[in-house]
Amino acid sequence: MMPIDMTTPGGVTLALLPELVLTGWALVVLLVVSWRHRTAADSRFVGVLSIAGYVLAVAATGWLARRGARADGLPEMIALDGFRFASDALLLWIGGAVAVLSLRWLERQGILAPEYYVLLMLATVGMMLLAGAADLITVFLGLEVMSISVYVLAGYDRTRRSSAEAALKYFLLGAFASGFLLYGIALVYGATGTFNFALIGAQLSATPPTLMAKLGLGLLLIGFGFKVALVPFHAWAPDVYEGAPTPVTAFMASGVKAAAFFALARLLAEAFPAYVELWRPIVTVMAVATILVGNLTALAQTSMKRMLAYSAVAHAGYLLLALWAHSDEGTAAVLIYLLAYSITIVAAFGILASIERAGARTVLLTDLEGLFSVRPFASLGLAVCMLSLLGFPGTFGFIGKWYLISAALAQGETFLPIMMVIGSGISIGYYLPVILAMTMKPTRTRSAHQTIRFPRPAKIAVAICVAAILVFGIWPNIPLGFATQEAVHLRQSAAPTGPR
Amino acid sequence: MTQFLASIGYGHWIIHVLLLLPLLAIPLILVFPVHSARWIALGVALIELVLGLGLWWAFDPSTAGMQFVTDLPWIPQFGIGYRVGIDGISILLVLLSVLMMPLVVWGSWRAIDQKQRGFYALLLALKAGMLGVFVATDLFLFYTCWELLLIPMYFLIGIWGSSNRLYAATKFVIYTFIGSLLMLVALLWMVWVVGRATGTYSFAYQHLLEHAEVVAPWGGWLFVAFAVAFAVKVPLFPFHTWLPDAHTEAPTAGSIDLAVILLKMGTYGFLRFGIPFFPAFALSRTTGLVVASLAVIGIVYAALVAMVQPDLKRLVAYSSVSHLGFVMLGIWGSTVESVQGAIVVMVSHGLSTGALFFIIGMLYERRHTRKISDFGGLARVAPLMAAAFTITAFSSIGLPGLNGFIGEFLVLIGSFGRYPWLVTGAATVVIFSAAYMLWATQRVFFNRFTNPLNEGIGDLNLREIAVMAPLIIAMLWIGLYPAPLLRRTEAAARAYIELIQPHLPPATLPGITVSGMKP
Repeated sequence: MMPIDMTTPGGVTLALLPELVLTGWALVVLLVVSWRHRTAADSRFVGVLSIAGYVLAVAATGWLARRGARADGLPEMIALDGFRFASDALLLWIGGAVAVLSLRWLERQGILAPEYYVLLMLATVGMMLLAGAADLITVFLGLEVMSISVYVLAGYDRTRRSSAEAALKYFLLGAFASGFLLYGIALVYGATGTFNFALIGAQLSATPPTLMAKLGLGLLLIGFGFKVALVPFHAWAPDVYEGAPTPVTAFMASGVKAAAFFALARLLAEAFPAYVELWRPIVTVMAVATILVGNLTALAQTSMKRMLAYSAVAHAGYLLLALWAHSDEGTAAVLIYLLAYSITIVAAFGILASIERAGARTVLLTDLEGLFSVRPFASLGLAVCMLSLLGFPGTFGFIGKWYLISAALAQGETFLPIMMVIGSGISIGYYLPVILAMTMKPTRTRSAHQTIRFPRPAKIAVAICVAAILVFGIWPNIPLGFATQEAVHLRQSAAPTGPR
Repeated sequence: MTQFLASIGYGHWIIHVLLLLPLLAIPLILVFPVHSARWIALGVALIELVLGLGLWWAFDPSTAGMQFVTDLPWIPQFGIGYRVGIDGISILLVLLSVLMMPLVVWGSWRAIDQKQRGFYALLLALKAGMLGVFVATDLFLFYTCWELLLIPMYFLIGIWGSSNRLYAATKFVIYTFIGSLLMLVALLWMVWVVGRATGTYSFAYQHLLEHAEVVAPWGGWLFVAFAVAFAVKVPLFPFHTWLPDAHTEAPTAGSIDLAVILLKMGTYGFLRFGIPFFPAFALSRTTGLVVASLAVIGIVYAALVAMVQPDLKRLVAYSSVSHLGFVMLGIWGSTVESVQGAIVVMVSHGLSTGALFFIIGMLYERRHTRKISDFGGLARVAPLMAAAFTITAFSSIGLPGLNGFIGEFLVLIGSFGRYPWLVTGAATVVIFSAAYMLWATQRVFFNRFTNPLNEGIGDLNLREIAVMAPLIIAMLWIGLYPAPLLRRTEAAARAYIELIQPHLPPATLPGITVSGMKP
C-alpha cells in the first residue's frame, strides 16, 4: 500500500504519473516533429517514438498499481484505485495498438504529417483523464482533451471529402454533447454544492431527491450517450466512422467508447447510487433501443466500416447491461467486455485497413468476395473477429457476453439478457455474410485482392490480437482473475443487492 | 477384454484421447502435403475407432451413473470445469460417432477432389465437437461444443456442397444459432438460481440435476428456452425446414454427419437436460400432448412429403424427420421400453440413413445427378449396389429382422399406454414409409432400364464395399440380436424413469408392459 496525500502538489503529480508521462512524451515528440516531418521515414520514426511513449506510460501505470497507490483520504480530481489502473492500461493498449496499425498505413495513403501521433497520444491522455476522473470538472477536462484531438484525427485525411465531412459532423454534434454535459454538471453542482463524485454520492443519499439533481443526471446521461453512441444519440456514428481514416475509426470505436463507458460506470456507481431506481429504467430503455436499432440498421449496410459502426452501436447497448447491474460483477464485466471488444475491433480494422487502397472508396462487403483463396490468413483473421463480435463460443467475445449476461442475471434481471441474445441473433445476419463472402464466393476479377499490402507491424499486431481472441476464448482465466479481484472494483456505496 | 482394458487404465484416458486426437491431427493435415490429408484423416479415424470400440467392453452396463468420469477445473471463477463422462444414454451415440468416422472419410475418398486439406481438417473438427457434446457433463463445455459444431458444418455445406449450397449453409447456421441463444440465457439463469440457493456456482451437470427442484418455479420458461434449441436440432415439426435444404446441398460426408450424429444431439439434449432438469413442466399432461402431437405430425407429414420428392437425397432427408419423430414420441412415452426404443431408433436411424446417403453419394459420383427419374433398372448394371440399397431401405422401413424394427416397435409399445391415439396414428406411417422407400428403390434400381447414360455405372468397388459392409452387418446384428445393445442402455433408462416418475401424470391406459422384455 502506498497512501498518497492528494492535497499536496507532489501527491497529485504522483497520482497523475501515467497521464503526465504520456503528455510529456507527446510534447517531446511534437518538438521532434517540428524538425522531421517531410518524408515517410520521418513519419515512421515518429510513430515508433510514440509507441515508446505508450510503453513508458504503461510502465508508470504498472508501477503505481504494483505499489498499491491509494488516496490518503478523499480522492480529489482523479481516482486512485484498481479500476483506474485497469482502465488506464486498457486505454493505453488501445492507443498503442492504433499507433502500430497506423505505422505504414499513413504513408501508403499519402498522409505525411507525423503530428498524427502527437494527437493520438493527447487523445489517449484525455481518455485516461476521463476514465479516471473522480470529479465532474476532470470529466469535462478529459472529455474535451480527448474530443478535440479526435475531431482533428477524424479529418486527418484532408484530401478526402468524406474525411472532412466526418470531422465536421463529429465536431458539431460533439460540441452539442459537451454542452449537454456541461449543463448537467452545472445542475448537479447546484443541487449538491460539489463536483466530487464521492461527496455528490454522500450528499444525494443524505437528502431527499431533488428535481435539479435528477435533471442534472439526465443531461449527463445525454452527454455520455452522444459520446458512446447510444440510441437515440447515435446518428453521427456511421458517417464519422466511415469517413475517418481506418485506424482512427478503430480508435474511436474502441478507445473513445471505452473511456466514456469507464467514466459513466464510475459516475453512476459513485455519484448516483442513491438514484439507482431512477436511472435503471432509463438505462433499460436506452439499452433496448440501442441493441435493436444498432443491429437492425447494421443488417442493411453494404460498406464494411458502416456495418461495423452500427455493430459498435449495438455493442454499446450490450455494455449497458453491466451498468444496469450496478454491482461488482458489472464492473468486472465492463472491463472484460471492453478488453475483448477492443482486441477484436483492433484486429478487424487492422485487416480492413490493409485491404483499403490509397484514395479508393471504403471497403464494401462485395470487395471481400473470394478473399480466402488469395489471402487465407487475413480472411481467417477477419472471420475470427466476426465470430468474436457475434459472441460465438470459443472466442473471447463469447466470454464477454457470457459475463455481461451473468452480471445482469445475478441482479434478477431477465428482460435485458433476453434482449441481448435477441440482438445477437439478429447480428448473425450481418456478421455471417462477411465470412460467407470471403470463403464461399468466387473472386470478382482475376486481379482482385492483388493490391492488398499488409505492413509488417500491423500484421504482427493483428496476429497477436487474433491469437488472443482464440486463447482467451478458451482459457480466459488470466483476464477474469484480474477483473474479479477486489482491488479493481468500484465502491458501490448504497448499492441495493439481490433481485428486485 | 474388460480386465485387459482395466489393466491399461483405459477408463482414465479414453475420453480425452477421443476428444484430443482429431484436434491434434488438424495441424498435421495443414502442414503435410495435400495428397496426404485424407490418409492422415483416415489414420486418425481408424485409431479412434479401435480405441473407441474398447468402450463397448469397458462400459459397465449394471450401473446407471456416469462412467469414465473426469472433473478438472477449467474456469474456476465461473464454476466451469472440464467435466466429461459416459452413461447408458450416451454410450451408443459415442460408439456410433467413432464407427462413422472412418466410414465418412473413406466415403469421401474420391468425391472430394479440391481443397482437400480444409475438408478433412473440418471433418476432424466436427468429430471432436460431436464427441464433446455427447460426453460433456458440464453445461459450459456442452454449450461450447454444441455451438462450435456449426462452424465446420457451415463450411462443409457452403464450400463443398452442391449448387444451392450458400442458401442451405446460411439457413442451417441461422436456424441453429438463433435456436440456441435462449438456451444460453436459460442456462446462466439456472446456474445462478441454483448457485444462490446452494452457495455453489457450478456448471456441473450433476450439481444442477441434484438441485433442479430449486428452479421448478421457472421450469416452464427454462424448459421452453432449452426445448427450442433442441427442437430445431432434432428437428421437430415445425422447426424442420432447414433440414431438407442442408441435407440435400451438403456433400455426402456432411449429410452423413448431419443425419447420423447432429440430429441425435437434439433428442439427446431432451433426454439428458431438457426433461431431467424440468420434469414437472416437461412431462405435464399439456406439454406432453403438445410434444407428442408435434412428433406424430412430423412422422406422418414428413413421410407423406417424402413420397413426392423427385430428389433421392431430399427423400431421405424427409424420412429423417419422420424417424426422429419416433425418437421424440419414445422419449415422451416415458417408460423404460419407450426410452430404450428411442435410443435404439437413434442408433438404427444413424446406420440406415448413413448407408442410404453413402449409396446416393456413390450414385452422384458416377452420374452427377440425384434425380430419381434419371435412373431406372440399375440392378442390371450394379447388382451389389442394388442389394445394399434394398437391404438398407428395408432397414429404414422397419422390416422385422433388421435394426429399424426393434427401435420403432419398442417406441410404439412403450408409448401406447400414454398416447394410444397418437401411437395409432404414428403406426400408420409403417405403410407410408414402405410406400416411399420401396417406390424409390423400385424406380431407381428395378423397373426397365431406360436411360442409356446409366450404362457406364459400375458396381460397388472394393472401397465402397468396405464402407457398406460394416453398416449392413451392424443392421443385421441389431435386428437379430439387440440384447447387448439394450443391456447397455437399460440401467440408465431405468434410472431416468425413476428420476422422472414422481412428475409423470398417470397413463391413459395403465398396465401395458412388455413381458419377457428382459434381455
